[in-house]
Amino acid sequence: MTYTGGPMTEAMYYVLLALLNPNHGYQLMHSISDVSNGRIKMGPGTLYGVLSRMQKDGLISLAEADGRRKTYEITREGKVALRTEYNRLKAQIVDGKMVEEGEIENG
Amino acid sequence: MGKLVYKVRPNDYWRIGEHENWFEEMAAKGLHLKKLGKMFATFEKGEPKQMKYRIDISIDRKISKDQLDMYAESGWQYVTRDKLFYVFSSPVEVNAPELHTDSAEQSFTIEKLDQKLMGNAIFTVVATILMIGMLSAIWFLEGTPIYVLIEGWAIQQTILAAFIGYTAYTSLRATLSIRALRKNLMEEKPVNRHATWTKRDRLRSAFVVVFTIFIGLSAAIPVVQLVKNKTITLPRENVDLPIVRLADIERNPHLIREEPEYMNDGVDWGNRYSVKWSPFAPVQYDTDEGGVVLGKEWSDGSGQYSPSVHTKVYQLTLPAMADSLIADLVKWHQYDENKEDYVEVNHPDLDRLVVYEGADTKKIFASKGKGVIFVRYYGDAETNTIVDEIEKKMKLIAGIE
Repeated sequence: MTYTGGPMTEAMYYVLLALLNPNHGYQLMHSISDVSNGRIKMGPGTLYGVLSRMQKDGLISLAEADGRRKTYEITREGKVALRTEYNRLKAQIVDGKMVEEGEIENG
Repeated sequence: MGKLVYKVRPNDYWRIGEHENWFEEMAAKGLHLKKLGKMFATFEKGEPKQMKYRIDISIDRKISKDQLDMYAESGWQYVTRDKLFYVFSSPVEVNAPELHTDSAEQSFTIEKLDQKLMGNAIFTVVATILMIGMLSAIWFLEGTPIYVLIEGWAIQQTILAAFIGYTAYTSLRATLSIRALRKNLMEEKPVNRHATWTKRDRLRSAFVVVFTIFIGLSAAIPVVQLVKNKTITLPRENVDLPIVRLADIERNPHLIREEPEYMNDGVDWGNRYSVKWSPFAPVQYDTDEGGVVLGKEWSDGSGQYSPSVHTKVYQLTLPAMADSLIADLVKWHQYDENKEDYVEVNHPDLDRLVVYEGADTKKIFASKGKGVIFVRYYGDAETNTIVDEIEKKMKLIAGIE
């Protein structure tokens, strides 16, 4: 599936977030876990799938090969996509404010 | 290295959950997966161990080292693969994370596989339909399927077509299953890891093994035919073969053979016999013979008398096929004559005798036991003479005293 600017999967969003610091596969799994405060433990299959798909879509690219490992970094396009997604999510949260207010009322 | 154990593998390669479960059960019994072939899985005997197995699909021709490294660092060791289906294992106590933690993402990894399988399925189904069409023409165009079977024209091709048909069926099932799996994953329904093989799956797998062996053996048919089939110029003198000869029909000392009109590969095709083989008629002869009688003219004054004879001889594997073969031979050799002119005659020493008598043409179809003989004769000899000769030769092939 080519990324055309619609809502991202959770996996895509967190990989982009984690790649704000260039990183390679295995450590990326840990930094995703860190970035999400331990909420997301991404499996290697999912991670690899997301990486190769986003690389194809130009959202991330290979940084200088660091020895035998492939190091990925976010591209400018990726940063734009990430910001767009962040704004979309933020708008969703703002739009959903009434839920929180409702909860307060119920509480 | 431990002892290797081979197990028939359910050939539904696309059923991921069932395979994973099966490998885990085997590992718990001390049989550790080594290799996954098309029909057999190889296990190595060792200590029973609680293992997790996962199958991952990679549409790329070869899974990248990068991906393998990433899996290994997470605790998943590559075991083996069957085409695009890669098997990884991890001891339960390592507590490795699932390979795929996001069903929607996983569904993207099989999107291309889905398309590829659909392409395969369409191709094999079309190929099957074409093959069935072509083979039907061979078998049924003249309405003589038994004749075609006994001649052995299309036996191996038909078995092969059956195999391709089965392949088409399998690839359709694969396509539908992978499509369903993809749909489930998109709806966040993960692979069912509790699925197990049913008895029916196992039976089907055993059938596939037997069927494949059978197809392998059937490949010998055209080879045997190639080795056995040959065509040789008929010697002028008597031969020790169950062939009705022109000289025996004519019974005229002035019958001579003319210079060959058509020679090819050193064979005089006007005076030749061919030896043939097929599974349902392992002994077959096919002959042509012609000659002229010096000082004799055709009764209608059309020139020098030149009789000829064409014969076919079959020794059948199954005598029960003789009647159907006679019927088909009649059909095959009947042109614009009336069907009623082919007369069934009772003969004390033959099972069947069908005779057609035209002006200068006689066609005689006879059978006894395993033997079937057809003679087409141009000339003025009596039918009885030919039948007598057929009866003599029939004794050699009928398989009955």
